[in-house]
Parts: sequence; structure tokens; C-alpha cells
Amino acid sequence: MFKKLLEDKDDHGEQKEKGFFLGGLMAILGLCSLGFAGCGKEPAEAPAQEPDETLLVNTDSGGERGAAIEFDHKLGEYEPLKDEYNFYFTYKIVHPWWDAVAIGMEDAAKQYEEMGIIINYEYLAPSVVSARDQIRRMEDASERGFDVIGVDVADVDVIAPVINELIEEGHKVMTFSSSDAAREDGCERIAYVGNTHNYEDGMQLTEALCEKLAYSGKVAILVGTKEAPCHEDRALGAQDVIAQYPDMEIVEIAYDDDNVENAYKLTKAFLEEHQDLAGIVCCNMSNPVGAARAVVGAGREDKIVIVGMDHDQEALRYLRDGIIYALGVQDCYSIGFDTVQVAIKIADGHLPGDEYPEKTEETTIIVYQDGAAEMLQVLYGELN
Amino acid sequence: MEHSKYNGINVKKKETVTYAVVGGIVIAIILLVTTVWVSNSARVSTSQAVKRVSEFYLEELAGRREQVVSEELKNNFAYIENVLGILEESDLESQETLRKFIGKVKRLYGIDKFALVDENGIVYTEHSTTSGLSRYHFLAEGLAEPTITTSNLYGARKQVVLAVPVEDIKFQGVNIEACFIQINIDEMLSSLTLQSNNNETYCSLYHRNGEDLTNDDFGSLKAGTNILSALLEADIESGYSYEKAKNDFTYGEAGEIAFQYRGVKETLCYIPVEGTNWMLTILIRDNVISKQISSISADMMHRGIVLIVITVISMSVVFLLLIRQAKKNARTLLEQEKADGDRIRAAYAQIEKEQASMDNIHAAMGSGLWSMEFNERAEVISCTWSEVFREMVGYESEEEFPNRVESWSDLLYEEDKDRVLTEYWDTVKDYTGEKTYNVEYRLHTRHAGCRWFHAAGRLSRREDGSPITFVGLFVDIDDEKKMEERLEKQKADLEDALAAAQHANRAKTTFLNNMSHDIRTPMNAIIGFTSLAATHIDNKEQVQDYLSKITTSSNHLLSLINDVLDMSRIESGKVKIEEKESSLPEIMHDLKTIVQADISAKQLEFYIDTADVVNENILCDKLRLNQLLLNLLSNAMKFTKPGGIVSVRILQKGNAPDGWASYEFQVKDTGIGMSKEFLEHVFEPFERERTSTVSGIQGTGLGMAITKNIVDMMGGTISVTSEEGKGTTFTVALQFRTCSGPVRQEIVPQLKGLRALVADDDFNTCSSVTQMLSIIGMRPDWTTSGKEAVLRVKLAEEQGDGYAAYIIDWLMPDMNGIEVVRRIRGIIGDGKPIIILTAYDWSDIEEEARKAGVTAFCSKPIFLSELREILESPFALQEEKNEEKETLSFEGKKILLVEDNEINQEIALEILREAGFVMDVADNGAIAVEKVKAAKAGQYDLILMDIQMPIMDGYEATRRIRALEHCALAGIPIIAMTANAFDEDKKAAYEAGMNGHVAKPIDTPKLFALLGDLLRMGDK
Repeated sequence: MFKKLLEDKDDHGEQKEKGFFLGGLMAILGLCSLGFAGCGKEPAEAPAQEPDETLLVNTDSGGERGAAIEFDHKLGEYEPLKDEYNFYFTYKIVHPWWDAVAIGMEDAAKQYEEMGIIINYEYLAPSVVSARDQIRRMEDASERGFDVIGVDVADVDVIAPVINELIEEGHKVMTFSSSDAAREDGCERIAYVGNTHNYEDGMQLTEALCEKLAYSGKVAILVGTKEAPCHEDRALGAQDVIAQYPDMEIVEIAYDDDNVENAYKLTKAFLEEHQDLAGIVCCNMSNPVGAARAVVGAGREDKIVIVGMDHDQEALRYLRDGIIYALGVQDCYSIGFDTVQVAIKIADGHLPGDEYPEKTEETTIIVYQDGAAEMLQVLYGELN
Repeated sequence: MEHSKYNGINVKKKETVTYAVVGGIVIAIILLVTTVWVSNSARVSTSQAVKRVSEFYLEELAGRREQVVSEELKNNFAYIENVLGILEESDLESQETLRKFIGKVKRLYGIDKFALVDENGIVYTEHSTTSGLSRYHFLAEGLAEPTITTSNLYGARKQVVLAVPVEDIKFQGVNIEACFIQINIDEMLSSLTLQSNNNETYCSLYHRNGEDLTNDDFGSLKAGTNILSALLEADIESGYSYEKAKNDFTYGEAGEIAFQYRGVKETLCYIPVEGTNWMLTILIRDNVISKQISSISADMMHRGIVLIVITVISMSVVFLLLIRQAKKNARTLLEQEKADGDRIRAAYAQIEKEQASMDNIHAAMGSGLWSMEFNERAEVISCTWSEVFREMVGYESEEEFPNRVESWSDLLYEEDKDRVLTEYWDTVKDYTGEKTYNVEYRLHTRHAGCRWFHAAGRLSRREDGSPITFVGLFVDIDDEKKMEERLEKQKADLEDALAAAQHANRAKTTFLNNMSHDIRTPMNAIIGFTSLAATHIDNKEQVQDYLSKITTSSNHLLSLINDVLDMSRIESGKVKIEEKESSLPEIMHDLKTIVQADISAKQLEFYIDTADVVNENILCDKLRLNQLLLNLLSNAMKFTKPGGIVSVRILQKGNAPDGWASYEFQVKDTGIGMSKEFLEHVFEPFERERTSTVSGIQGTGLGMAITKNIVDMMGGTISVTSEEGKGTTFTVALQFRTCSGPVRQEIVPQLKGLRALVADDDFNTCSSVTQMLSIIGMRPDWTTSGKEAVLRVKLAEEQGDGYAAYIIDWLMPDMNGIEVVRRIRGIIGDGKPIIILTAYDWSDIEEEARKAGVTAFCSKPIFLSELREILESPFALQEEKNEEKETLSFEGKKILLVEDNEINQEIALEILREAGFVMDVADNGAIAVEKVKAAKAGQYDLILMDIQMPIMDGYEATRRIRALEHCALAGIPIIAMTANAFDEDKKAAYEAGMNGHVAKPIDTPKLFALLGDLLRMGDK
């Protein structure tokens, strides 16, 4: 119901239009959905670890706008061997970033259900990052006969041995989301689905800023935690891009230790120090929030271009209101969606190869103002 | 010739037909043009009307759809409640049982997701258990009430989420705090029957921010388009505005907007969905409306043209038929008119003839004649007054008295005018012909003033009853009428006289009946007991008892006689108010003294107090004031049963002019009260609500009448309120001249600021005494409880702010005043004065009271002057001289009794001799004068003189004695002892030179008191 009450004869054409429209919408949403993977170093309680492997960056081309997350992924052609699967996923911490992953998982499970295949799963995390808690959860899960156990690794050094132990016991363990325990880390996990391309993210984001500034002006770089690979990689990417443009200058690089208040203070200092400051590149989740607050406080929102990472709710509001110019959003939705698909294949006994790669690399998208409202609605149910 | 005539007729016929055809065509063209014009106008009007109707239709449709949607949402909430209601312990045993239950519910209600959320933020669904709630923003701050929201609004599966808070459900030891369901909006709405049969009407749902909640196109708007954004691009029709629509969406108001979007004219109607942030929208394309309008207009036009053609043809046929019929009718009418004219002329001739005869007859009879003619509408078309008529009203010619109805009606006497004209027109307009005109009335004649006339007339009428002529006679009946009036008046006078006589007779009978009964009753007792006493003369005790009863009956009889005579004198105007200087306290104390015995005897509670009395000395007739108050009090006592309350209160009002004081005397009782009916007659003489026989209460029924008369004579008012079984209050308002200024109200310096305690169970007394104490500068406290008084004294002493004076009522319900005094003395010692205030005789308890510590007694009602006096005194009644009453011995005192009646002589001699007097007797005034003349100085100490005596009356005898040359003899005190007991008798006695007056029958104590006074005076 709530469609055209009685179709008229020209409906066909309109249907076409509708299809086109929906296709466009899906494309936009798809792009958006890519942007979730959160290197979001969280304010205060956020985990120190973030997706630390560089993946392909699927960014919006500079001139195009309207990118948003696609929430209507379709399952691949693989036909599961069983009618019912049981998975256990544990991740680092309860946080909106991982809630976006849950959306993708839920959609995948639903599509399988429509095919007659039941996916039972648990997707649980503590409220504080704890490798010990993660070990407990994995051990509990190992006793409950799940087909696959998925882990968003809280601490590689601690968790990798546990994963190996479970593998030895015959359990099927995969990693997903923001942190992997890779083979090179001595971990025997079967596969990983997540984001791994922070350097490129930094580059892409900074490129958008440079374009907006017409490749001229002074820029400050805010970074999260010193030596956090994902943050440093993004900062490095940013510096490399700016270095390409002779009329651009990096005047400040500062670390906020993943603290919004620090980001605010640092930005405030930048603004006082550099009256001609033109842009700020923010490399983690707390950076853009603090930067935007300070710029608004100084009344210079029309003069400063801010680009940042991740989909913090406040940051998305600033994006919607035009204070932040662009946000690099990791595709959490796809991580969740693909994690379920890969888990089925693992449960069916397939090893990485033709059916799926050892690392399923998800993308990051640059989201602009016109994609902010959708993001807020999907991720936070916010609809103003 | 015939041929040419025939040809002529044919030519005329042809012309007629031609005219008819041409006329028909012209009319047809006019109608056609008019129809086209009307059709166009109608099309415009119809267009507007259809548009209005369509808007109304849209509103109506939107409203209904909104109801369907909100009902569906409510149903879903109900499902959730149902599910939670059927959730059993067994379903909550493990994750598996819970998932099974959720799966069952999901399938049962066909919903996309059913989830329970525990207090740790874990979400349980059929196939998943997840943590993290950020996407469920409605759970962010705790779910307090059912909530509706949307999710995945930008995805393909847009969903509505309905969440409710949950209580009292635990899963694995953790509280379940919320439950929500997710339903695909498309699926939820597809189950609703909202579709219309119209192929250009659309219905959809949008969020208030304009976002599409469905996946369907909406008119020219593609699915997913923000409707507000789309409207921004549309051409809004005049009369509508984008801003209003946007505001309506933002604030959830219903409304409409018409616009052109992508070349299509559309009208959008929107209405908020209850309980959500959604707007239900209905859109209709204008071409639907315009097609309808065009269709209606074209149809109207076609029908109009067909109608015109049919009308023209019909009219032409009717015209021809009418012309033919009209010609036929005209011929018939012409013939009828001719015949009617002949008949009418003959009739007129006959009427004129008859009228002439009638005129002659009436002229001979001396009666006037009048006639009128009317048209079909009963309007006068002519009026004729005969010469005799004119002469009767004093006019001689038609110039002076024209033939108009007004000539007559203007002369009608004002009082009769309406009646006569009404009668006249009623008769004229009575088309039944049953009514006749026959009236008597007065007219203002030219020379003879106002005179009575009699008029009678008859009407001739048409077939329909309308009047043709009205002819009548007019006769002067003034002489007869005036004779009749005189007779009437005489008759009325006679009737009045008869009624008065009958009333007087009845009153007399009533009075006699009353008196007969009231006099016979005590007389019967007197005679009966006298007879009994004579029979038992030897039995002293019995005789004493009989005598006592005889005395009682005699006293009653006396009061009865007094009342009757009083009333008689008042009514005859013989009683006059004599103003003398009087003391209000004295009057009130006297009054209290008089009634005290009866109060005690009847075991009544008695309160007497004052309020705001500042003028205590007045000029008034003390005797009469006393009488009226006594009457009221006697009544109150008479009608109040033992244990009841009788109270008297004097209030001074502040509304008197200078030199005057206004008082209100209230006499209140808790007696049997009076009925409302009786209240109206309470002040009428001989009125008693119940006969004494029935009520057991005796009385003449004159008391209140006398009281009322006295009050009237004093220029006051008396009013009464009463309720049967509850009591009666009489209020007398009087104004007296003051004979001294107000009592001293200045502060008593030695008492200033000192505390005083008033304890009295009567609040009014507390109030008035407290006020008086305040006036003299003390700080009064009051209480209506004896116990509380003691407590207050104790408290005051403990606080070191003791009372300097105590005024205590003798009789208080919770503690006797004497006991209160005893206890207070126990606390304060002997220093401070304690005054007992009472309305009763305290002589019996005085000794006990003084022992208990009472300093002084004070009689109620207490006045300011008395209070001041008693408080200003050194509070030492100890110093009060107990003046022993000088008991005067009458032994050896010599009295000359002048009395003509032997019995009276005997009674007086007996009484006086027993008192020790030496008696001498004179049978009339002359003998008395002679005896005095012959006496030596000191032979008689006093003379008791009757007034009415043969030979020489008491007045004359007194005058002669006073006129004696011997001073000692001429100055002998003379007391009138007479049955002439009225004021004027007393006055006459004093004027004659007497020194006192004693009324018969003799009141021995009074007589002795007077004798004592005069003899003591004589001794001095």
C-alpha cells in the first residue's frame, strides 16, 4: 500500500524512473556503508586499537557529492551447504562503530533466512576493552559448539595464542572488523574481514581538503594517539598529499590522545596562533569533534575547512550542518555483511582461496554534507 | 361578403400564429443565450464548488487514512502487550527457549523483528544475541513510554520500530527493560485497505522532515524524494504557501497545498499521524477535478438546451390555449357583470328606502342612528351619523361632526375606549356572524360633559362572511347609569359596614370568649379554694395551701385585668410616654431582679449582658421600657422549658444623631418557638398560638400587642424571628435622648497595661467585658472554660506576667466559679482582686465564696461605669460596709385609713395591725378631713387614702388636708391606696398633694416598703 493507488497507463515509464532512482539511492547508500570502518579511536574509553591494515580506498571522486552508505547488499552466489549455522562473534567494545557492523550482519542473516538458511549468531562485547574478557568469551564459545568463532582482536599478543589454541582444538576461528591477528603475527586464524588501508584513507581525505582549498593555504593536522599505526598512517598520508602542493603549508601537527577536549584545546590554540589557518585534517574519531567545537566557538566556521575520520554522531551532525567539510567513513556495514558470508564458507569447510580471500578488504568513503542525514538516521536512528 | 369576412378571419388567424411563432423564437433565443450564460457561470461556480468539495474530500480521506494507520500502530502495540502477557517462565529458561518463543511470535504477527533488551544492553532476537544499542536511539536514555520510530529510512527496507518499556521480566537473572518490534513499513501498510478507486489519487507517508517513509511514487514525486524539497521546486498556486506547508510539517499540523510540479497540477492534503512524527499525505491531480467539472458543465448545457426546446413548444401551445380561453371567459364575465349591476342597484334602492323609514322611526324615539359600509377586506368605506346622533353628543352639523368613525371614537372616554373599540372590531371581523354589538360606554359630549350611552348594532355580511353594512342605534342612558352607580356605591358601603360590624362582632365574641375562659379559670380557682378553705378552716396547713393557690390565681387574674385595661387605654390613646432621667444599668438590674425568682423557679439558664454601651443615662419612660422588656422576658420564660436558656442583650448602635443614643434590646429564648403563620399575627391583640387549655400556658394574648404599642409609642421598632422547637428572638430597637455624656472611657492610669482574665461560659459576656477592660487600658484575656482559666493563671504566673484582676462567672459548666476562684487563689495567693460576675442572686453562696477568696460580686449585666468603678476602687470589698438594713419598726405608728368599702377596710386593718400599726378609720374623705382637723399634731403618722369614695373623694380630701393651717397636720404623709392604678391616677394623686401611691389589691411588701420610706423620712 501507500503506492500509487491505481496505476495509470504510463506507469511503466515511472517505474523505470523509480528503478533508476532506487538504483541511485542504493549506490549512494552503498558508498556510505563503506565508510564506517572505524579507525575511530574513541574519546576517552575508545579502544586504542583500530583497523590497522591498509585496504583499498574507495573514495568518492572529488567533484561528486551525495555519497552515503548502501544498506542493501546482495549476497554472493555461493550456496551454503547447511540449512542452519551458529556463529559467535566478539569484538572489542560496545560502541556505535561496531553497531554499524551489526547492521551488516543482521542484513546478511536476514537474506539467508529468506533463502531458507538460518543464521544464529551472537555478537557481543564488553563495555571496556579487555583481552581477558575476550579470552573468556572465546573459551565459553568454544564449549558451545558454534560453527565459527569470530574475533575482533583486542590485543594481538594476548589473543593470537588463544586463537591458535582453539584452531588446534578443531574450532574454526576468524578475525573481523577493526583488528586482525595476522599470519605474520603468528596467528593461525582462518580469515579476516575488515579495513586495512589507513594511509590511503589519510591521503584521500586530505586530497578532498586540498581540492576544497583550491590547493592553497595553511593546514593543521590533528592526530589521535602517538604511534597508533592507523592514526600515524593517516597523518602520514595527509602529509604526503599536502607536500605535493607548493601553495599549501602544514603549520601544526598535534596529538589529542584520543580525547575530544584535547582536540578542542589544540584547535583553539591553532586558531589563535594562525589567523590565516585554512584547514584542519583530523586523523581519528575524536579529532574532528574537538576541531569543529573550537571552530564554531571562534566563529570561524566559514573560513576553516575541516576533514576528519569516522562516524561519531556529533561529527556527523557537524557534517550535516556544514561545519565539517568531509568525513572518511569506513564501511562497517560491509564488514558485518561480508563477515557472515565468509563465516558460512568457513563453516562449510572452505579455506581461503577461490571462494573468499584470506583478507576481505573493505573500503572507506568520503562523506559530504548531503550524506550526513542518512548516516545519522541509519547509525543513530536520528531523524530531524 | 361572407367570403371576405372569412378571409379576414383567416388573415387574423395567420397573424396570430405568426406572432406566436416569432414570439416563441425570440423567447427561445433569449432562453438559449441565458442558458449558455448561466452554464458558463455555473461552470465557474461548479469548478469552485467541486474544488472545495474535493478539498473536503481530501481532508476527509486523509483523516480516515490517518485513523487506519494510527489504528494499525495501536494494534501493533497491543500485539506487543499480548506477547509480553503470554511470555511464561518456561520461555525464559534458556536462550534457546527464548529464541523459540520470539520466533513463534514473529511468525504469528508477521513482523520483521521482535526483540527483548536487557538492562546490560543485550538485544535478544530469534536468531541473534547482540550488544550495542546506538542504532536504537529510542533506548538511549531509558524507555519510559511506548515509542514509535523508523529505521533504515534510506534503505530499501524501511522499517517502523515500536518499542515499549518492560517490567517484571527477568532473563537469566537480568531484568528485561524493553521490548521492540521492527516491521517493514511497506508490509505493515500493505495489509491495510486504504486504496481508493480513483485512479488519480495518491496516498503516502512522510516524516515531518519531509523524508519518504514508503518505497512508492507519490503523484509526480518519485519514491524516496523529500516532499518538502520537491515542493520547493514546485510552482505553488496562489492562496497557498510553501512556508506554511513546511511549518505544518514541522509542527505536525494538518493542511493543504496546491501546486504544479513537473507540469502537473496537483493538490496535496496532509495530516499528522497520531503518536508519530509522520504525516499522512493524500494527493489528487487537478485534471481529475477539471474533467469532472467539464463533464458536469457539458451535461448541464445539453440538458439546458433540450429543456429550452421543450419549454418553447409547451409555452406556445399553452399561449394559444390561454388566448382562446380568455376570450371565452371575457364574454361570460361581461354578461354576469351586467346582471349583477342590475341586482345591486335594486338592492341599494331598497336599502335607501328602508333607511329613510328607520331614520324617521328613530328620530321619533329619540335615539341616534349610525351606519357604516365595508369593502371585502372589512375596511370602512363610508360612515353615517344621524342628525339625532349628532345632537345627542352636542353637535349640529356634518362640518362639526363629520361622517367618519374617528368623530365618534375620538369622543370615547379613555377608560372605555379600548373595550368599546375591541368590541366593535371583534364584531365587524367575526365572519361567522354570531357576535352581536351591544355595549355601554361613556362619551365626552360637547356641552354636557361625560355621559353614558348604549349602542347596539347589526351587520349584514357577504357570502364569505365579510361585512357589508353595520347599522345601529345609539341611546343616552346617562341618568339610568348614574342612578345605578349610586345604588352600587350604597350597596358597597352597606356591605362594608356590615363586614365591619361583623368583624367587630367577631372580635368582640373572640375577646369575650377569651376573657370568659381566662377570667373564669382563676376565678374558679379563687372561689373553689375559698370554699375549700372555709370547709377546712381548722386545718391550718390545708388552709395555707388553699390560700397560696388563691393568691396565685388572684395574681393571675390581676395581671389579666391589668393587661386588658392597659390595652384598652393604649388603644384609646390615654397612655402617654413620659420621659425621665433613667439609668440603663439600673433598669437592667431591676429587670434582672424581677425575673430572677421566676428564672430560678423554672430552672432556666439566664444570660444578660451588654455590648458597646457607652451612654448609660438616658431620658426615657422607665416604667414603659421596663414593662416592654418584662413582657418579652415573661414570654420567653413562659415558653421555655426547664433547662432552656433565656438571654437578654443590650447593644448600643452607632447610628444615632447627636444627643441621642440607639439601643437594641434582644430577648432570646430556646423555647417552643412559633409557627410561621403565627409570626404574622404575633403582635395582634388576643392572638395566642395555642389555647391555654391545650398548651398549659396561660395569658391574655395581649402582652405582645401591648409591647408593640409601647414600642410604637416610643418611636422604635420590634421584630421577631422564631423557629418552632428551637426558640424565639425578639429585637427591640429604640432611640433615646441622652441626659449626660458617654461614660468615662479614658484609661485608668493605675490599671494601664495590667493583665486581666475574664472567664465566662457566655461568649458575649467575655467579649463585652474584654472590650470594656481594653477601654480602661488593661490587657484582657478571656476564656469560656473554668479549667482553662486556672491553667492560664498558672501559665501566666510561671511566665512572670500574672493577671492583676480576675472576673469569673459563677456558673460555668466545666467548673463552678467558686472552685475556679479557690484554685486561682491557690496559685496567686490573696493579693489580687477576684470578682464574681453573675446574673443570679448570690446571697446564698456569698459566705462560701468569700471563704474561697472572692473579693467582690458584680451583677450582670455589667456596664462600663460599673466595671470602672469596681476596678478603680481599692479592690477591697473587705472595706465594703455591710450596711445592715435598718429595720424599721412600725410598732405604735398611727395610721388613718380612709376607705369606704368595708371589706377593703377589714383587709387593710388586718394587715396593718399585724404589722404593729395603730389604726383609725374614716369611711370617706369628708370624715377624714374632719378627723385630721380635729387631731393633735402627731396623732397620725400617716394617712392611707382611697380615691373613689362617696361624699368626698381622696383627691379633694387630700387637697383640703394640705390646705390646713396647722403645718404638722397639713404635712402628714398621705398615700393613695386605690384601685385607680393607672399612671394618670398616680399623677393625679401626686398633683393633689399625696406622697405615694399603692394600687389595689394591696401588695403588702410594697406597701410596707413605701410606709417605711415615708415614715423614716418623716422621722428625719
